Amino acid sequence: MISKQDFPAINERPPEGLKPDGTPYKILVVDDSMFVAKQIGQILTSEGYEVVGTAGDGFEGVEKYKEMCPNVDLVTMDITMPKMDGITALEQIIAFDKNAKVVMISALGKEELVKKALLLGAKNYIVKPLDRKKVLERISSVLGK
Amino acid sequence: MRVEYINPFVEAAYNILTEVLGGEVNRGELYLKSTSMPVMGVAALVGLAGDVEGRVIFDMNMATAMKIASKMNNEELASFDDLAKATITELANLITAQAVTKLHDLGFRFDLTPPALFTGENMEISDHDVEALIVPMTTDQGKVEVNVAIRDRM
Repeated sequence: MISKQDFPAINERPPEGLKPDGTPYKILVVDDSMFVAKQIGQILTSEGYEVVGTAGDGFEGVEKYKEMCPNVDLVTMDITMPKMDGITALEQIIAFDKNAKVVMISALGKEELVKKALLLGAKNYIVKPLDRKKVLERISSVLGK
Repeated sequence: MRVEYINPFVEAAYNILTEVLGGEVNRGELYLKSTSMPVMGVAALVGLAGDVEGRVIFDMNMATAMKIASKMNNEELASFDDLAKATITELANLITAQAVTKLHDLGFRFDLTPPALFTGENMEISDHDVEALIVPMTTDQGKVEVNVAIRDRM
């Protein structure tokens, strides 16, 4: 019988989305654009991450974080959203859990808001349009990989 | 209308379309329209208000909108549904954000509205007292017209 061991491994690199114990990192995606949320989800799940929740505005994002904590390893947070913007949502998440790992997703031209977010405790940021490599690099660096 | 307002939009449209569609993008000849003009079927409109005021429209026909949305999602979309609409809206956001960053660097200060998406046949748009400059961009998915009508605030 042919077993897996009979084939040479082409890619020894484990998927970035898995913790050392083999379980996936859990991600909450907060974005009002269905397109951007889907794009982030596709990039992350292709590397083994698990998207455990999505929220369409900041208010829903904060609620979901509180509900799911501590079963969320990282949040991606859009800045411009209806009801509650991403900066306010970030503040509320950090007030609830000071160790929360939040990565801001920003359009170009929002440097001041990105700076403010970093001062408020966001761990990193990604400027759109989203590039797969850039997204994965920033997220894995925040998760300390 | 001052031509310096349109160049950032043309450059941004070229950069973003090239980046998200991954193909060749060509810029056509710029033309001017001062009366009401037909729009092609899918139009994303962003309003500007501040030192300057006006609006920018990204205009394309339905077939092109479907092809662009499918390409940006890496899958064939079957209808112009919420995902397709969100995709074209995001395209307008990306182009506008890059153009506005350039205009802000040139010292213009203004705010933007979120994009509004219009779909339908036989639509016309009229801007009173503002001429529109239009730059057609040809992509592998079809033609996208960048239609800019901006004036200094009176």
